[in-house]
Amino acid sequence: MTETELQSIKIMADPKSATTCLFMVDRPVYPDSSFYFGSNESAEGSPLAERMFAIPGVTNVLIAHDRVTVGKASVEEWLPIARQVGQAIRAHIASGQPAVSEEMKQRIPSADEIRNRVQQVLDTRINPAVAAHGGHVGLIDVQGNSVFIQLGGGCQGCGQADVTLKQGIEVEIRAAVPEVGEILDTTDHAAGRNPYYTPSKK
Amino acid sequence: MPRVLLLLPTTTYRTQAFMEAACRLGVEVTVGSEEASTMTGLNPAGLVSLDFANPQRAAEQVAEFAVRHPIAAVVPVDDQVAEVGAAICERLGLPSNSVESAAATRNKYRMRELLARAGVPQPEYRLFLLAAEPAELARQVTYPCVVKPLSLAASQGVMRADNEVEFVAAVARLAAILKSYNGHFLAEHFIPGPEVAVEGLLTSGRLRVLAIFDKPDPLDGPFFEETIYVTPSRLPDAIQQQIAAITADACCALGLVHGPVHAELRLPTFGDLKSQISNLRSRSPHVIEVNPRSIGGLCSRVLRFGTGLSLEELIIRHAIDDNFAPPDREVRAAGVMMIPIPRAGEFQGVRGLESAKAVPGIEDVTISAHRGQRLVPLPEGSLYLGFIFARGRSPEIVEAALRAAHAALEFQIDS
Repeated sequence: MTETELQSIKIMADPKSATTCLFMVDRPVYPDSSFYFGSNESAEGSPLAERMFAIPGVTNVLIAHDRVTVGKASVEEWLPIARQVGQAIRAHIASGQPAVSEEMKQRIPSADEIRNRVQQVLDTRINPAVAAHGGHVGLIDVQGNSVFIQLGGGCQGCGQADVTLKQGIEVEIRAAVPEVGEILDTTDHAAGRNPYYTPSKK
Repeated sequence: MPRVLLLLPTTTYRTQAFMEAACRLGVEVTVGSEEASTMTGLNPAGLVSLDFANPQRAAEQVAEFAVRHPIAAVVPVDDQVAEVGAAICERLGLPSNSVESAAATRNKYRMRELLARAGVPQPEYRLFLLAAEPAELARQVTYPCVVKPLSLAASQGVMRADNEVEFVAAVARLAAILKSYNGHFLAEHFIPGPEVAVEGLLTSGRLRVLAIFDKPDPLDGPFFEETIYVTPSRLPDAIQQQIAAITADACCALGLVHGPVHAELRLPTFGDLKSQISNLRSRSPHVIEVNPRSIGGLCSRVLRFGTGLSLEELIIRHAIDDNFAPPDREVRAAGVMMIPIPRAGEFQGVRGLESAKAVPGIEDVTISAHRGQRLVPLPEGSLYLGFIFARGRSPEIVEAALRAAHAALEFQIDS
């Protein structure tokens, strides 16, 4: 890849906070898949992740299709690090190497195994808790490492369903099955007939 | 990673927007609510129940919690928790409005008194006892007037009265809504004219206006149900500057210095042109109210900043970092319609949803009432049926899209 071709790769940096910045690339870097690296050690053997962790200050990296989300511990300005991240992504694309190592990909359990482990979390941890509000959570499907769930009973249409989902269900599933990628709520909340909490203007 | 405490009352409309914003920003979140979550036992760092009715008690609860899980910022998501949020910030030493100023905005009389003391233009007002002889009070009021409770939100209990008979009826109806003849209410002079809403962000007492919304449906009473909000405003720049300046003055008068602000102002049109010119003060935008919170309901979905930041992302980032300079709102016009409740009854569903969504410029139609829900219109009610969202090249196009989408909807309500 020539220097001109390299520079033609468009990368848009979107700082989300002092510690997180999203880099959107104009082409896929890890097509139709996602992988999270929480440490330098976990990145070993995965070329794009290794390049990211080689930048001083980087603490975690999420690679998903055409997006690279980089985390850092310091509260210094993003600009100097963002430039290095951009160069590293361009260099990686030029190298033609895979973003994530085959070995890491192999570590993702099968959809069946994820299904069994998530179902166990729902049965033993989540559903006994939400039953207190007349709610229940069902596992609808697992595709790749993406999990599709559905909320019912008092949880369906509840004004606090998002809190239950993000502060409870997701936390529990990720703790028990760290290899899970996206967790998608497929609930038709508008159809809920008996939500535990109903929003109002007061 | 900084931990943000989101103060989310269990019945707020704002939960999803703030939770999604916190996720996108990658901050650690603790949700504080007045009721215990079913998940508290599973995620004790992420959920805490607080005594919202007692701000000082809630502040102590958070101080104890923060020993184990340090809190970097507190975000009260609506006006129910503004005072609690201020008390918690004061206890933790975080920047915020004072407890007194937050409390003043929760009491419409206290707000009027502070605005009056600072000379901020506002309707003339009188404080009355609900238990007083209404016919006697009716003789003391200038008509048309607006009868208002001191503490309810979103126009609940707010009624226009054009004469003594209507005034007496309105007071009786207000007492029924409040289920009590104890306490006070306000009678304010009705100001005819268009109304606007201002969305802003305060940093160390400086107001940055994020958006000014026109409300193209006249709010003339007898009740004051809000429907369409469209931004940018179509008012002349000079008037918009005046609106921003008076909102800033009002914040200053109330002692509001930090975080989001939502204000409602009226542009008086009474009198003929000659009398308006001779009395410039009466032409100034008049403050209806100012609250230390962002826009209510699901309305914030129409606001996007910079490369697509939501209002909630902007508020959380500002709470974490005082120096954060919010990007400008996108150039395109945007609008929302809070779907009015057409009549009382049991909500059975809605027809025409797909047609409404297919109207050019419409981004989404969300029905937030659930089937089987008892619908109560204003002034007694406190619910929205749902929301229609639109975006387009101009405010006119957006307003037309909202009206067309609403016209396509047919609500099934059993009496």
